[in-house]
Amino acid sequence: MPELNKRRAFSIFITILLLGAIPLITALAKDTATVQSSGIVQEGEIFTQAGENAFIGERPNASLPPPPDKDSCLHCHITGEDKNLWTPLARWFLFGTMGLFLGYGLYRNAGTLVSKKPWKPIPQRIAEWVDERYQISAPLSKVLSKPVPKYALHWWYCLGGITAFLFIVQGTTGILLAFYYQPTPETAYASIQFIESQVRFGAAIRSIHHWAANGMILMCVAHMLRVFIMGAYKPPRELNWVSGVLLLTLTLAFGFTGYLLPWDQRAFWATTVGSEIAGSLPVIGNLALVFLRVGWDVSAQTLSRFYALHIIALPLLTVAMMGAHFLMVRRQGIARPL
Amino acid sequence: MSEDIQETESIPFFPDHVSTELKVVVGILAIVVLIGLWGLIHPVGLQEPADPMNTPLHVKPEWYFLALYQLLKFIPKTVGAVAPVLALGVLMLWPFIDRKADQTPRARRIRLIVTSILVVILIALTIWGEVS
Repeated sequence: MPELNKRRAFSIFITILLLGAIPLITALAKDTATVQSSGIVQEGEIFTQAGENAFIGERPNASLPPPPDKDSCLHCHITGEDKNLWTPLARWFLFGTMGLFLGYGLYRNAGTLVSKKPWKPIPQRIAEWVDERYQISAPLSKVLSKPVPKYALHWWYCLGGITAFLFIVQGTTGILLAFYYQPTPETAYASIQFIESQVRFGAAIRSIHHWAANGMILMCVAHMLRVFIMGAYKPPRELNWVSGVLLLTLTLAFGFTGYLLPWDQRAFWATTVGSEIAGSLPVIGNLALVFLRVGWDVSAQTLSRFYALHIIALPLLTVAMMGAHFLMVRRQGIARPL
Repeated sequence: MSEDIQETESIPFFPDHVSTELKVVVGILAIVVLIGLWGLIHPVGLQEPADPMNTPLHVKPEWYFLALYQLLKFIPKTVGAVAPVLALGVLMLWPFIDRKADQTPRARRIRLIVTSILVVILIALTIWGEVS
């Protein structure tokens, strides 16, 4: 057992005091809630009028907002009753930030006090901890210090980078949309309406996903035109060009499959016409049509297939192809202009 | 243009090049946030729910397929289906067709002109498809 010196005993004492304060504050807070509950029951009378007579009596804690299915306003449910600064979200944010600062300060002071060494920033500690175990800093610095030609700073060299960044934006907003989207003909349309009208910032997320998709195609084509005009596809960079054309195809496939998902008239008929064109290919036409529609008509199965392609198959292929694309650029360097 | 820049001139990838890229990323992110704000005021919206029984009068694809859609009005369907596949195939195999390493700015100028003509044709077809 380590020696129990004065300083350590003091810090243990403080810890016990703080831990003891938590149940005490909780108990006090409960008392306040019961005292205040008489005032809040009146708000509950709205539900009494709606024919929920037994509701108030059965509610375990009157200070809680009503459950979501009893609440007519979803936003009010998330934010709680309107008390200006004191809505629950503001409280969480304020006390959370204060708690983080307090915790960090306590840790930093206690750390320097115990070790009697100057304070090292936490990121540096983490970096040293990882490097001790995996020796990552030497190869990493070699990768990072690779020289880049100055001509690569011209604006037309960042078109590909912008495309990649827009892909990340699409991935992020796409995951957020997938939390609420339901890929069946009965519910798809309503779930998009729900996203646009009920979900917090849902309209913004959908708008970003919609417009960034268009931007990604534009940037992709612009990048390809730049590479073509400057002749950067010439040996030894042939495979990079091939992977780039595949990436453009994947981006267009993203657009085509994503277009069906809202399941409105435009989506349905654009897919019908689009798959019809694929169906008029010689020899493999019918095969392509049946592969796209899963049958002879655009149906629930088509929606499932397009959804799976859009959120699983195409992203995986694109990420793999982008990795190869970047590694090749990295290995061969950026093509020198004439 | 960059004729007078020497080949040996370079900057380290990190932090110089990365910080430049970061500026571009922050700029794009700002545009993305603005699009989000715009979307809060004017949502993308939906048309009528899909109805397989009721074909609308004008079915138009997204703008990036509009050129192909317009082209299909004038050429047989089979040709219209094969053409984009063939075009993508040629595009993909282009570096194996045009292998000569070019040393002159002239080759580049020719490519610029050819690309410009193709792009203008594509844009014209797209606009035509949009207004027709």
